[in-house]
Amino acid sequence: MRKVAIYGKGGIGKSTTTQNTVAGLVEMGKKVMVVGCDPKADSTRLLLGGLAQRSVLDTLREEGEDVELADIRSSGFCNSLCVESGGPEPGVGCAGRGIITSINMLEQLGAYDADQQLDYVFYDVLGDVVCGGFAMPIREGKAEEIYIVCSGEMMAMYAANNISKGILKFAKTGNVRLGGLICNSRKVDNEREMIEEFARRLGTQMIHFVPRDNDVQRAEINRKTVIEWNPKCAQADEYRTLARAIETNSNFVVPKPLAIQELENLLMEFGLMN
Amino acid sequence: MNSPAAASISILPDRRDSIARAGEAGNAVACDRGSLAGSVTQRACAFCGSRVVLYPIADALHLVHGPIGCAAYTWDIRGAQSSGPQLFRNSFSTDLQEMDVIYGGEKKLGRALRELIRRHQPKAAFVYSTCIVGLIGDDVSAVCRELSAEFSIPVIPVASEGFKGTKKDGYQAACDAAYRLVGTGDTRDISDRSINLLGDFNIAGESWIIRGYFERLGIQVVATLTGDGRVDDIRRCHGAKLNLVQCSGSMTSLAKRLERDHGIPFQRVSFFGIEDMSAALYGVATFFEDPLLREKTSELVREEIERLMPELREIRTALEGKKAAVYVGGAFKAFSLVRALRTIGMRTAIVGTQTGDRDDYDQLRAMCEPGTLIVDDSNPLELAKFCLEQDVDLFIGGVKERPIAYKLGIGFCDHNHERKEALAGYVGMLNFAREVYASVMSPVWNYTPRRALRLRTAPRENEE
Repeated sequence: MRKVAIYGKGGIGKSTTTQNTVAGLVEMGKKVMVVGCDPKADSTRLLLGGLAQRSVLDTLREEGEDVELADIRSSGFCNSLCVESGGPEPGVGCAGRGIITSINMLEQLGAYDADQQLDYVFYDVLGDVVCGGFAMPIREGKAEEIYIVCSGEMMAMYAANNISKGILKFAKTGNVRLGGLICNSRKVDNEREMIEEFARRLGTQMIHFVPRDNDVQRAEINRKTVIEWNPKCAQADEYRTLARAIETNSNFVVPKPLAIQELENLLMEFGLMN
Repeated sequence: MNSPAAASISILPDRRDSIARAGEAGNAVACDRGSLAGSVTQRACAFCGSRVVLYPIADALHLVHGPIGCAAYTWDIRGAQSSGPQLFRNSFSTDLQEMDVIYGGEKKLGRALRELIRRHQPKAAFVYSTCIVGLIGDDVSAVCRELSAEFSIPVIPVASEGFKGTKKDGYQAACDAAYRLVGTGDTRDISDRSINLLGDFNIAGESWIIRGYFERLGIQVVATLTGDGRVDDIRRCHGAKLNLVQCSGSMTSLAKRLERDHGIPFQRVSFFGIEDMSAALYGVATFFEDPLLREKTSELVREEIERLMPELREIRTALEGKKAAVYVGGAFKAFSLVRALRTIGMRTAIVGTQTGDRDDYDQLRAMCEPGTLIVDDSNPLELAKFCLEQDVDLFIGGVKERPIAYKLGIGFCDHNHERKEALAGYVGMLNFAREVYASVMSPVWNYTPRRALRLRTAPRENEE
């Protein structure tokens, strides 16, 4: 079983990219579980065709310890397995602790056991890794490969660099490695070249460049992944390509985060190229 | 005294400047700073500090907002007595658990307060924040405001998150909370001869003893903070003419605020031992500038001392030359104990406090006999080492020092929150002397390894 976590700046399209990529993997016949690690519990909406999922934490709160896997795990597109960690409303409690609790719960319930015959588990983690709880998926024994979703916008690259620092920290004590950057294009000037160079300097690769296409939004309005909504469109093939790239990826590294000045220089260099 | 066991315990290098000897030249005792990592301090957390100060307010509801362990830790921590309501003896807790931490504890706090206020009809409620509440950021103040409005009683948050600092920081949070009551009551029938007792917690009924002396002198005691405390008394304590501050560490900040906002001066006092008790009474008599009151005070002091001197003399003869170790929270109690021990013929060989400041240690150095060890913020290993080196006959401390003494085979006198015997006032001095006598003179200590081994190796005097 490959254990994958998707990180990236808030609003960059982590959940959308994760679900569309997972759709590509399940279409290939892989067995995949997606674990949403965001109190908003919106990481599996496209695979499930709506926000029908009861979160792990809500279920625990309402029913106590007597929870079964079937109560918190739903079947989505092409038998993908969907779990939402859930958590408190904004401004109260401790969402980070919630993620720790729900991942422990999934382990206790055997969601990762060999008899589940999973090929992949994907953790989709809230944008800013604000505290220890949100780093839970990359602690030892959890996710081993990380993909960072970013774009050519400055703040997205800042966030990606920062997340690399986190990976570096956990790589020293465990097996977590960076598998690559996924560029979710915002149509920034020289975006592809800049992210390729950024990835190179981090010591990794840009595993795929996902072009901006309004079909993604059209599919979202219909509560579907692009592959399910219109299997024949060009964007569906983009996600299939990304899924295949992850399936065949063997480039796993301990990242070398950039100094802030180096990052600024990179932006200047590519931003002014025209 | 040569003790191989004592020699085997080493002092951490960074702790050495916190240890001094009376009568020897040297730098001031390093104090008033955070505890050294690895030293296992005897100090407690901020939450504990707040709890011990406010808890004796008898007709208030005390709710610990946090996991149940915090409430258990501080349940009935003082032997504080009440002449009326017993509500304070309950350590209510919101019993925060995993799901409450994740989803926030505000709603549970609101529910708990509603249920408890309806059931017990308290005059006020105190809500203590624990570590976890500080971490997850529950808006305790907002919940308290809401409940205050709903029930028309003061519901007061105590900002006592344990990690905020030491016990001292907890005292401050407690004073801030208590002060929210001050100034809200009617002061019209308060006499011109009136005082508040600050920093007496009515342990084993001690506030009643002290109050009795002042009432015999015609002085009204408006409020005790917080021993046998009442919400309504605290509300109007700003009507008193003078504040007496006994436990200086916990209550000086409140006394200063009463002076600033209401012009009430304060005197630092101690009610332990003949000398300090008498000085406290004379200080009040002097304050009210009345020769007749002064005369009545002399009479009271004479009467009380005469009553206990014959027995004290006997005890003194027996205890002459015995040695004591003293480790307490605040320095004022340490001063009193050094004097009280002297009254019964004992020498203080070791004296230390958790929270003393530079002036306190200078004073201890000046008042103790040469050779007395003086220490700030000590720890179990150090205390054990000192006790063995000095070969003391008695340890005076609190619950955390008791096992140190007993493990070494040393008599122990509890002079802290848990004591069940009144040690304040003149009658308290007699109780103290009797307790020390009974402990120190017990033959049992000769059969503990510390003494028994020495007895066996010493040459026998009557050997033919």
